[in-house]
Amino acid sequence: MKSANNSKGVMEDNDEEEEFEHFDDFTLASSWERFISEIEAVCRQWFADGPKNLLEKGAVQVNQLKDLYTIKSEFKYATKSYCMEYYFTTVDDGKTLDWDHALHDLQLSFGVKEFVVIAPQSASGVVLDAPEASKLLSAVAIALSNCSCLWPAFVPVHDSSRKAYIGIQNMGTVFTRRFEADRIASQVPVKLMHLEGLYELFVSKFAYTAVDWSMNHFEVHFKMKLTYRTPIHDDEDEIHDPDADITGSSENPEGEMHGKAQWDDNFPWSKWYSAEDPVNGFELLAIWSEITAESSLDMAELENASPVEADKWFLSPCLSEYLSDVSDGSTIGFASQLHLLVKALEMSSEAKFIEDFISVFANSGSEALKSSAVVPPQTVLDRVLKNLFHEVAETEINSSPTEHKNSRSIKGAPQESLFAQFCLHALWFGNCSIRAISVLWIEFVREVRWCWEESQSLPRMPSSGPIDLSTCLINQKLHMLAVCIDQKHREAEGQFVDANDSMSSQEDLQSPTHNSSSHGASKEVSDRKDESSDAANVAKPMMLLKSHKIMHAPITLEPPPMTEDMHEERLKAAVALGDSYSFSAQLETEILASDMSAFKAANPDAVFEDFIRWHSPRDWENDENEENGASESSSWPPRGKLSERMSDLGNSWRKIWNEAPAVPASEQKPLWDPNREGEKVLHYLETLRPYQLLEEMVCAAFRAAADTLNRTSFGDLKQMNIKMDQLCITIASVLRIFLAQNTTTDTELLEDLRRLSTTFEHIEKLVLLAASLHVKFLQSPYLGQAIFTDCFNFYLPNMGTSSANAHNDTQREFDKKQQIRSGDRDLIVSMFPPPTANQSWRRVLSMGNLLNGHEPILREIIFSKRDRASRSYYAASSPKLHQQDIETYRMYVSGTSNDLGVALAVASFD
Amino acid sequence: MESSSGAAPEFDYLFKLLMIGDSGVGKSSLLLSFTSDAFEELSPTIGVDFKVKHLTLGGKKLKLAIWDTAGQERFRTLTSSYYRGAQGVIMVYDVTRRDTFTNLSDIWAKEIDLYSTNQDCIKMLVGNKVDKESERVVSKKEGIDFAREYGCLFIECSAKTRVNVEQCFEELVLKILDTPSLLAEGSAGNKKNIFKQKPPESTDASSSCC
Ligand SMILES: Nc1nc2c(ncn2[C@@H]2O[C@H](COP(=O)(O)OP(=O)(O)OP(=O)(O)O)[C@@H](O)[C@H]2O)c(=O)[nH]1
Ligand SMILES: [Mg+2]
Repeated sequence: MKSANNSKGVMEDNDEEEEFEHFDDFTLASSWERFISEIEAVCRQWFADGPKNLLEKGAVQVNQLKDLYTIKSEFKYATKSYCMEYYFTTVDDGKTLDWDHALHDLQLSFGVKEFVVIAPQSASGVVLDAPEASKLLSAVAIALSNCSCLWPAFVPVHDSSRKAYIGIQNMGTVFTRRFEADRIASQVPVKLMHLEGLYELFVSKFAYTAVDWSMNHFEVHFKMKLTYRTPIHDDEDEIHDPDADITGSSENPEGEMHGKAQWDDNFPWSKWYSAEDPVNGFELLAIWSEITAESSLDMAELENASPVEADKWFLSPCLSEYLSDVSDGSTIGFASQLHLLVKALEMSSEAKFIEDFISVFANSGSEALKSSAVVPPQTVLDRVLKNLFHEVAETEINSSPTEHKNSRSIKGAPQESLFAQFCLHALWFGNCSIRAISVLWIEFVREVRWCWEESQSLPRMPSSGPIDLSTCLINQKLHMLAVCIDQKHREAEGQFVDANDSMSSQEDLQSPTHNSSSHGASKEVSDRKDESSDAANVAKPMMLLKSHKIMHAPITLEPPPMTEDMHEERLKAAVALGDSYSFSAQLETEILASDMSAFKAANPDAVFEDFIRWHSPRDWENDENEENGASESSSWPPRGKLSERMSDLGNSWRKIWNEAPAVPASEQKPLWDPNREGEKVLHYLETLRPYQLLEEMVCAAFRAAADTLNRTSFGDLKQMNIKMDQLCITIASVLRIFLAQNTTTDTELLEDLRRLSTTFEHIEKLVLLAASLHVKFLQSPYLGQAIFTDCFNFYLPNMGTSSANAHNDTQREFDKKQQIRSGDRDLIVSMFPPPTANQSWRRVLSMGNLLNGHEPILREIIFSKRDRASRSYYAASSPKLHQQDIETYRMYVSGTSNDLGVALAVASFD
Repeated sequence: MESSSGAAPEFDYLFKLLMIGDSGVGKSSLLLSFTSDAFEELSPTIGVDFKVKHLTLGGKKLKLAIWDTAGQERFRTLTSSYYRGAQGVIMVYDVTRRDTFTNLSDIWAKEIDLYSTNQDCIKMLVGNKVDKESERVVSKKEGIDFAREYGCLFIECSAKTRVNVEQCFEELVLKILDTPSLLAEGSAGNKKNIFKQKPPESTDASSSCC
């Protein structure tokens, strides 16, 4: 009711303006005059300074408005203090401000560029009523005219939510402009809900009250901007309980979603969590830029127009608040879980054995342990183990299709590998507390042991191939175990394995026959020099030098696979043996001797030279003639010789040859024992220290999470690709330092890891945003990219800063718009599906200009009436303005059918 | 960084260097030439050989642990042990055998990427056996081009005539001395905090689309 009563003034048809000049009480002269002259002095100074100097003197940019700055000064009058602010722009290109720009309320309301606002200090809580406001305004007006300054001045009236202002501007001539704005926040008269009524309101401001203006035509110009908001899909979608995801037992988010399709179902992170769509919707601005109306009828017609007919369209995304939150983990995502994992790491040094974290809790452990002690029920545990060990898609095992080029530098495990998947599960298991992790790890190791005992191949791990030393040790150990299981399995089946892949073939796997000269041999050796000739030229077999029999390549023993720690041990052993001439590596010597024995067994008539011809062909120098293809039989034995270094008498190779017995590989003592090595791996896993486990988990989890995000398709976004690169590099370098440090309780290191999680959080949000925009603009990727770029540039500056800094920053809001090409309008329209019968029934439509049945959420109109000064009522006494057009009346209307703001500017001759 | 307490230390820095390349290119011969001023026939290396050399360079007393690996294919998977912690890698080829040169990019450069644990480690390309000028098949220019592309030092030398042998090792070590992270290596408690450094340059990331 109150607002209705207060809405006198502008809203009223007959224009009874306040007369500021009526205020002529100078009884308080001394202090009042002092007040005015203080204001005057400040204005003079500001005026003299100009924008450039003011910027140097500490003028600040007004939030998010590109080119609007403000500087302020404070005054005391009587017991109240006032604050005067001067708003100014730096470039004055003479153009009128359009609403393509982001504008200040007062700029928009009154069509002014620079202005002064004076108001009681907000801290003093004083609100001006109308008489007080005009008193204050007149003080400023006097001050401004004293220094012949033409700035408009405004004073707020009533409380700020009402956005009511009065203002005045000396135009430098005989004109004065007066301003007034007010708002009706409820019970808008039906008349003012429609364009017709608003037009009539404007016309009433200048038409003689006596005239029945509805019969007359008054030509007014106006522009209109309508804002539409994409509908929210379904009411139920709105219900989102953020706690639901966090509570310990919900390892599997799909469970809660009742099978309803989520926006991110097809994105790689959806296996782990379901994210809120960072793009809540879009706002469409439809702008009619220059319209002339002559009657109410024109207006009624316009209200029926579809926004598709508007001149310009702009689109801006409505972004979820969580994007700008610097939350340190309150938004659920990989980053939040990584934060928890780092916390678990911190606590992991509290106990020596992983089991302690389960039992210690039972006999009341530390407070910290208790607080984070949620362990999901057995069913959840079973589901995780089942997924890890049994639900392996065939393609997952050895595929690293989109692995990021830098992710290998993170000492973790490949994304689909067993340990990486374990870590990802652990992030979401319980609260990722040290206790939940311990429970999961113990079960995990138990399951691994089961595979070992039952000779079941380890899922998600390659069972052959070299062990990748760039991965974390646990992954290497699991790879080792997979190789051991495979080896054990084959041995059990009586197969013999050939180490040398290039020589292996089906027959290699047969048990060697014991009755021929090809004892333990796989195939005949052909002269390697023939390999380079054409394929058509059948390779001729190599012949033994002495016997001229065909040379057989033996099956050889496989060298042991080695994990990082084994390599290190070997290195230490080598260093210990030191600097001696006869030094050569023990393992390699064994391999060489084993090869020689096998070769001898396969070729009983062979001599040392034959072995060299097979094993190190470079050290056998053929004569020219043989290479020219002279007939073998005629010139046998060929006139080749050992290289100089091989023929040396003290040659260590010959020594080993001389000592090597002829034994086929199958009968040799293997170079390594898979049973022993496998058992060692399990011992390692079963006795792993909690801190070591967590250290490796941190590395593997960061990498696996980054790899997962990396698989998101968000189209061709250069800046995101760069960000992903940087993320991997940053993770790799932080973790490298982390691993190099052996101290278990370095707070600075933990701080680094926490910061790394925060960095991760920023990138994760950007990835989600990019992905969301990508799917929404599949048909116009460049538009999605342009919007993303706006968002990226908006959020990025804040993302580097720590949370402390970010809080000082006053909340900025994203307000970038993209102009829509006419070809893309269809896509945008499709974002406004016609409301269902149910929805439209609930809705009361009171505005026109529907877009697919949706009414605008905001309507803004600027009416203006220009008068050629020479022909205007006032022309006679203003010869200076002879040819000029002057905007005599301007009215800005903004709102909806039940919240209306009106601002009026009237230029008059005083 | 230098040890300070007690008697004068034996050396200021200890660097680990690694030699790789095909069998027979002359790695062991180069090492022998450098450490003992000698050239003699050596058996093909089995696995690895290992020599220590003390020298003073740029006023610094240095201890070099040089690991000479076998080029034999059979030992290759095991050679990865020896890459660990090396500050410098010497990649040797034989200027009279093209395959030893092409194998550097086909095989050896990849091995470094896989096994080197040291990101900043300095690489040096060495073309050996320049005394056999008449049999040369890999030109100096090709060597320079490869070095430029792969970002490493380059020198041609002969283990037999000892031409450029000393320069080869010294230039590599000088470069290591120039690289702070390699210098600092091994000295604990000297960690960097990357959050306090500038973030990696983003190359014109903010350019708009369309
Ligand atoms: N003419 C000439 N011959 C050389 C030179 N350096 C090495 N050789 C010869 O090349 C052959 C191979 O040399 P090594 O030093 O054993 O080669 P390597 O690279 O150590 O070989 P692996 O140990 O098998 O990897 C030997 O016969 C050397 O005498 C050189 O500078 N000039
Ligand atoms: Mg050698």
